Amino acid sequence: MESENLKDKIIITKNLTKKFGDFVAVDSLNLKIERGEIFGFLGPNGAGKTTTIKMLLGLIFPTSGKIIIDGVEAEKNFKEVKRKIGYVPEKVEFYSNLSPLQTLNFFCELKDVEKSVAEDLLKEVGLHDVINKKVGTFSKGMTQLLGIAQAMIGNPSIYILDEPMGGLDARWVKIVREKIKGMNANGATVVFSSHILSEVQNLCHKVAIINKGRLIAEDTVEKLSRHFNIKPRLEIYIEGLNGVVPEDVLKIEGVEEAEAEGNKLSVICSADARATVLRVLEGRGMKVNDFRTVEPSLEEAFVKLISEED
Amino acid sequence: MNLIDIKSVYSVAKKEFMDHIRNKWIVALIIIFIVMTISASYLAGGKTGSSEIFGGMEETVVTLVSISTILIPLISIMLGYATISAEAESGALSIVLSYPVKRSEVLMGKFLGLGMVIVASVLSGFGAGGIVIASTAGMSQSGAYLTFIGLTIILGLLYLSLSICFSSVCKKRTTSIGAGILIFFWSMIYGMIIFGILLATGVSYTDLFTGNATYPDWMWASLTFSPMDMNQMSVMFAFGIKQAFGFPVEPPEYMNLNLLVFIQLIWIAVPMLLAYHFFNKRDI
Repeated sequence: MESENLKDKIIITKNLTKKFGDFVAVDSLNLKIERGEIFGFLGPNGAGKTTTIKMLLGLIFPTSGKIIIDGVEAEKNFKEVKRKIGYVPEKVEFYSNLSPLQTLNFFCELKDVEKSVAEDLLKEVGLHDVINKKVGTFSKGMTQLLGIAQAMIGNPSIYILDEPMGGLDARWVKIVREKIKGMNANGATVVFSSHILSEVQNLCHKVAIINKGRLIAEDTVEKLSRHFNIKPRLEIYIEGLNGVVPEDVLKIEGVEEAEAEGNKLSVICSADARATVLRVLEGRGMKVNDFRTVEPSLEEAFVKLISEED
Repeated sequence: MNLIDIKSVYSVAKKEFMDHIRNKWIVALIIIFIVMTISASYLAGGKTGSSEIFGGMEETVVTLVSISTILIPLISIMLGYATISAEAESGALSIVLSYPVKRSEVLMGKFLGLGMVIVASVLSGFGAGGIVIASTAGMSQSGAYLTFIGLTIILGLLYLSLSICFSSVCKKRTTSIGAGILIFFWSMIYGMIIFGILLATGVSYTDLFTGNATYPDWMWASLTFSPMDMNQMSVMFAFGIKQAFGFPVEPPEYMNLNLLVFIQLIWIAVPMLLAYHFFNKRDI
C-alpha cells in the first residue's frame, strides 16, 4: 500500500535538515509532492523555503536527511536528476554582456538540448524583440521571463520556482501565473514558493506551510481552510460604533465571535444567523451604513497558524 | 563513469570568454596595455625622438616587464575575483549549477575561459609590441621575446588562479574585492618585508641604492613567494639580462628559468586545487 502510494510521488524528502552553525534553517522536513500537481510552498520570509529548494537542487548540502526525486536518491545521482528539472531562483541574474539568445544557447549546451529551441523559447516568453540585446540592459520582469525561458529548456518534468512572482508588478505576475499553468497543462509538476498567499491560493493543488524550518501543514487549499475552521465573517459598518461590541450581538444563537474596530463590527456566525444580527442591531436603533460577508482565505489560516506557532 | 565532461567544460569556458571579452573594464585595461607596450617597444630601436641617449632591447624588456607585471595581474584579478563569490550572491551561479554539470567542470571551464581572455590580452599587447620591436630593432631576440610572452601568460594564469581561489572562499562580492586588492599588492608588501629584513640583517642602505650590495642566498630563494618578482626574474633569464635600470642582477647558480617556471606552475596548481576543495563543499 505504502510503496504503491510512493510511486505517484515525484519529490520526497525524508527528515531533511539543514543547520547553519547553531541555526536550524530546515528541521526534519518530510514532504511528498505528487506527480503532475502544482505544489505551493508557503511560509513567511526566512522560514526555510529557499534553503529547502536549494537542497532539492544540490546547491546547498543537507546536514542530514534524504531527497528522492522521481524514484532516485538525488544526492547520488544529481547529474541524472537535474536533467529533469527546470529551476528559477529567487534572484535571477545572468551574464550581463551576453544576449538572451547566447544565454539560452549556453544553457542548451549544458543540458545537451538542440540549440534550435532557444529562439522558440524566447518567442514563447515574449522576448523575441530583444533577442540580440545585452541581458545587462534588461528590466527585472524581462530577466524573470528569461529565467523562465531558461527553465523550460528540454521540457523538464519538474519545475522548481523560488518566489517566481516576488517583486514583480501586476502585469508580470499575470504572465508568470499563466506560464505556471501552461507548464502544468503540459504535464509537468510545478513546485513554487511564496510568502504571499493570494499567489498560491488560486493556483495550487496542494500547499505546504512551513515556519521556522518546520512543516506545519500540508494539504489541499480547501482542506486546509476547512481544517483550520475559518468561517465566513460578516462585516457591518455602523455609525457611531466607536469600537464597542453591542452586548446583544453575542447572545444571538449562532454567533461565535464579535469584534469591533472603529465603526466596523466583524461577526463570525453561521449563515442563518446573519439576518438576525442585522435585525438586532437595527432594533437597538443603530444605523447600519453597509455590510458584507467576507469569505475565508488561506491568508487567515496562514496567519492563524503562524501565530499559534509563536 | 566519466570524471569530467569535456563538453560542459568547453561550454562554460566559451561563455566566460564571450562574457568577459565584452566587459568594458577589461577592454579598457587591454587597450591601455597595448598602448603602453607599443610605446615601450619603440625604445627598442635605440631612439627616443632624434637623440640616441636612451634605448635598446634591454631597456625595452625591463620597461615592458614593469608594465606587464602591473597590468596583467590587474586584468587577471578583475576577471577572477568575483567569478564565484559574486555569482553565488547574485544567483547566476545557482542557475548554472541547477543544470546537469559538476562543480569541477564549472570551475575548470571558468579557469580556461578567463585564461583565454588573459591569453588574448597578452597576445594583443605583446603582438603589437613585437611588430614595433621587429621593425625598429630587428628579429634577433625573437626567441627570447616568445619566451617572454609565454612567461607573461603564466603570470596572468597565476593571478587568475589566486583570485579564483579567494573567490571560492569569500561569501560576498565586497569581501572578494578586499581579497583582490590583497592579492594585487602582495608582491609589494612582501618586497617591503624582505627589504626590511635585508636592512635589519646588515645590508647597508647606500649599497642597496647604489647597486653595490651583495644579496644573501635566502633573499633569492625568498623571491619564490613573490609572483611578480619571479616573473621579472624569469624574463631577465630569458633575455640574459644582467642589469636592470643600472642595478646588477646576479642570482645564484641554482636559480634558472626552468626552476622558476616550475615554481610558478605550482603557484597555479595549488590555488586551483584549494579553489576546488572550497567550491565543492560550498553552499550556493
